[in-house]
Amino acid sequence: MKRLLCLPTILAATILLSPFFIGGCKRQVSTNSKKKVAVIVSTLNNPWFVVLAQTAASQVQSLGYETKIFDSQNNTSLEADNFENAIASGFNAILFNPTDADGSIVNALKAKAADIPVFCMDREINSTDAATSQILSDNYSGCVALGKYFVEQMKKKGNYVEILGLVGDNNTWNRSRGFHSVVDFYPDLKIVAQQSADFDRNKAMEVMESLLQAHPGINAVFCGNDAMASGAYQALVAAGNSNQVKVFGFDGAEDVINSIKDKKIVATGMQFPKEMALTAANYADQYIKGKRDFPKKMPVAVELVTQENVDEYIGYGKKDNAQK
Amino acid sequence: MRVAKNIFLTAIIIFVGYHSVYFKKLDSIKAAKAGALFNASQYAQAFWNDKLNPHLDKAIEIVHLTSQFSTDTGKTFDTYSHALGIGNLRYFLVKGKGIITSINEDDVSVLPDSSKQNIKIATEYIFGNAVRDATGLININEFNNTMDFNNVSAAINKIIRETILPSFKSMARKENKVEFVGAIELNKEHLDLSRIEVIPVQIKIMPY
Repeated sequence: MKRLLCLPTILAATILLSPFFIGGCKRQVSTNSKKKVAVIVSTLNNPWFVVLAQTAASQVQSLGYETKIFDSQNNTSLEADNFENAIASGFNAILFNPTDADGSIVNALKAKAADIPVFCMDREINSTDAATSQILSDNYSGCVALGKYFVEQMKKKGNYVEILGLVGDNNTWNRSRGFHSVVDFYPDLKIVAQQSADFDRNKAMEVMESLLQAHPGINAVFCGNDAMASGAYQALVAAGNSNQVKVFGFDGAEDVINSIKDKKIVATGMQFPKEMALTAANYADQYIKGKRDFPKKMPVAVELVTQENVDEYIGYGKKDNAQK
Repeated sequence: MRVAKNIFLTAIIIFVGYHSVYFKKLDSIKAAKAGALFNASQYAQAFWNDKLNPHLDKAIEIVHLTSQFSTDTGKTFDTYSHALGIGNLRYFLVKGKGIITSINEDDVSVLPDSSKQNIKIATEYIFGNAVRDATGLININEFNNTMDFNNVSAAINKIIRETILPSFKSMARKENKVEFVGAIELNKEHLDLSRIEVIPVQIKIMPY
């Protein structure tokens, strides 16, 4: 084992200067009696996340807190700014939908260092101690169910393509792994291409257009979210292939639920953004009132929506009794 | 005097430096990390032997379970089902005896004793979390990583695929009497008892 010299002076200097940094990071203490809960969301450019953020904000308001929604625009740097603003503005808790499983950890840790609890919604961060609790869609299991239905619908054979979401997001890979944990058991189901479209409808349309040119004989497309499924379907309609290629999505977005009813899209996995937002808001309220014992991760079940059971669902959730 | 002072200072610097920084071989660090990696197959086998098998006698008779739903659905879910998260999907550990009414490509249909409703014993699609979650004996907070947790389900299902199904599939015939224990998934809000599918954990063909 080799040992090298170090510079103890660096250590000494760090110790001497650290109080200035700590002082510089002190947050503004809220003088208002009304407490505040921030909602920091990855993007408001996708209706699914709008539902998530607005439900969370409405719930914390109904619990008696002030609230503000911060849009990170899928940008980790902007997300860091949002956290600094929330910390400096004296928010008492943060409901957080991260932009990046690894890149967002540092932001949650900043809040933790300032004694502000962070409750992740839908998207996961790869740390078990940065967030107080993570309320997450069970993407993997949802896609296991979707994968089984895919195999049944394809009668265990055919060529398909997969359109992935953001490659830095755990949800992208949990969905893909869940799907492949079933489909890869069937050697006659062949994946001919796998490409990312960043969970974006327009990008998915472009990706699908180029995939159709390269692989004209495909029988199905599995998309990592519903926005991409809609984009892929649009490309198939433009190419005149929409009746030959089965489209599968994931999310439970309103337009895809309608497309399943119209027999344009075969199936999707219904996530429950409202359920996740309500749970996160209630956890924040309980934390502020003194509770400290929260599950580190709380999975929220994803349900398979097909043409057989689509009438039970609406966009982003299930019909309640009044809607049936 | 000055030389002695310099030697003394140099000795202190060397001493402090020597004890401040340690270098280890990257291989040994990687090996230590690999050793700490979660082994889903090992966990699943231990769960199967030490938790699931001793718990099988707590399975509820499937005919009794289905009759309970007609009395009080909510109470039946609360009493007999488990799930690790929030949502409508709940899991039950069930048992039963019955006659095989058909052998199908992906399952075997069984008519349980004193029942008019066939159930299916899955023989093809052994996927999902039913067996992992039905006992309620696994705590999600034991797992640092969601994928580890998912891999446990895959490893349990692999045990079923490799050790439970082959002999059953080769021996099962229409009109055979079978005894089974397994896990089922039901949707609390949209209960459909006409499509019950059991993932078998234990299944025996009974002598005539």
